[in-house]
Amino acid sequence: MRRYPTLLLSVLFWPILLPAAAVLMGRAYSGSNDPQAIEAFAQRAGTSEVTGFVFVGYAMYMWLSAMLWGPGSALRTEQVRGSLEAVFLTPASRLVPLFAPPIAALPAIILDFVVIFPAMWLLFGVVLPVDAMLRAVAVAMVGIPALYAIGALFASLVLRYGEIGPVVHLTRGIFVLACGITFPVAMLPAWAQVGAALLPPTYTVADTRAVLLRGEGLGAVASDLIFVVALTVIVGVLASVVFRWLDQSARRTGMLGRY
Amino acid sequence: MTPAVVATGLVKEFEKGRYTLWQRLRREPDRRTRFRAVDGIDLRVETGEIFGLLGPNGAGKTTTMKMLSTLLEPTSGTIEVLGIDVARHPREVRARLGAMLSGERSLYWKLTGRENLEYFAALYHVPPKDTRERIDRSLAAVKLSDREDDYVERYSTGMRQRLALARALLPDPPLVILDEPTVGLDPQSSRDLRDRVRDLRAQGRTILLTTHYMEEADQLCDRVAIIDHGKIVALDSPAALKRTIRAEEIVRLEIGLHGDGSGLLAQLGRAGTIARQQQTNGTLAVTIHCSSARDLVPAAFDAARAHGATVQHVEVVPVTLEDVFLSVTGRELRE
Repeated sequence: MRRYPTLLLSVLFWPILLPAAAVLMGRAYSGSNDPQAIEAFAQRAGTSEVTGFVFVGYAMYMWLSAMLWGPGSALRTEQVRGSLEAVFLTPASRLVPLFAPPIAALPAIILDFVVIFPAMWLLFGVVLPVDAMLRAVAVAMVGIPALYAIGALFASLVLRYGEIGPVVHLTRGIFVLACGITFPVAMLPAWAQVGAALLPPTYTVADTRAVLLRGEGLGAVASDLIFVVALTVIVGVLASVVFRWLDQSARRTGMLGRY
Repeated sequence: MTPAVVATGLVKEFEKGRYTLWQRLRREPDRRTRFRAVDGIDLRVETGEIFGLLGPNGAGKTTTMKMLSTLLEPTSGTIEVLGIDVARHPREVRARLGAMLSGERSLYWKLTGRENLEYFAALYHVPPKDTRERIDRSLAAVKLSDREDDYVERYSTGMRQRLALARALLPDPPLVILDEPTVGLDPQSSRDLRDRVRDLRAQGRTILLTTHYMEEADQLCDRVAIIDHGKIVALDSPAALKRTIRAEEIVRLEIGLHGDGSGLLAQLGRAGTIARQQQTNGTLAVTIHCSSARDLVPAAFDAARAHGATVQHVEVVPVTLEDVFLSVTGRELRE
């Protein structure tokens, strides 16, 4: 940011203009605030606040993009640039290059989340209570490590297979479809809803909307949060084990320096 | 004193080809072949010396360095670095080892020189209170203090190589390993980097480097191991290696002749030892080891004249490690 301040402009595009376009499109399709359409949406989404629903979904989409591909992208960039071997020559834990570089993306992710509130107010007149925003931040703080762990799991594959971008993009697409990012999970076929229930982002996005748009307390979503934490631990441990295993494999095959 | 490096029976094999999941599911035969990049190397680097691995590209130098620095796992054999078993305690080895393997590519070009070192100082677990002083010292050692706040992308190749060396010095390592440290550098930058390496030895550090430049190995190293096809084919000081040639001078001749040159070669062979000969398009190129070029050159002219040939070019050079490589492998270093 210091060297390329124009990157700040992306903060205007991704978290504000993109969801704003989706909100306006939804209004156009439903006849702008038609009570029947709003009621039909509320039955499926659990809230009549369409703007908030879309904005939270897009914020989640940006986290997904950054966290799913962040660790893998960082590792892959290091590999292609030639600096991965230099990092692996240090006594730092091998998990450092897996988990550390994407931390740099966290401020941008938090900024994305912060700017959507004034954007909703300025563009659509939606004012959210401060206590609800704080609860949403708490839900997000629980959810982000899960995304991080999933991203780390993908990143591990870089050591063995090099270019895994297409796999990540496919997975991101599946997550966007399955986790209620841009539309309610209730719109999915029953079998897909079962799959969605196993994905941590489904809970994070649903709980964020619950506390932010329906005014629910953290107690109401506590069981979800515990489940997300459990999934985070499982995926995180799995990522560490897979990474160590693939690191061993890379040291046998020489894949660290190849790309 | 504990040697800096002891490697015994070091072997590294790589698999060539692929055996995909689809091939496995179809139970197709595994057609992968094994390629031996390092083939039973025994190495002992003494503390405080500059030790060079000299060989052509693909000889196994870099693979050896990567095994010593824990980046690659040997197929068999043992390595001790500074008395520490590399297989059992890789992190301890990395903590005490300064390594420059992929040179300028291994730096972050969008960061400044100092920022690069700050990042790596953290990875090397340099205590925060010592970081500034350690970085200052590393930059001073490679004469980059005045450019520390410039972005690396604005550095010359030689400066980037020196910054990579500065990074290797961050852990204050007793052993520094350098893989082709001067490759791609202009002569001035190469000389500059070699001076820095000599400085490191003067500070009491051990240096293990690879190179395919014979002059570099000759000028810089206390001892040189010549490596070819994954094996060490000769190991000694540069002077001792050159003495194995049993010649004071090397004479290279290009002789224009018609027909078979065997008679001429036989006559030249009586004046010296023919190390190499190649006949193409009516020109016979001969490399002869001899005790005195003053005696050999007139004799060569006489022999050529006697066989109806003409000496077109004469070059008299001192014995180099190139000649040693040629004599032990039958090939030139650059082939």
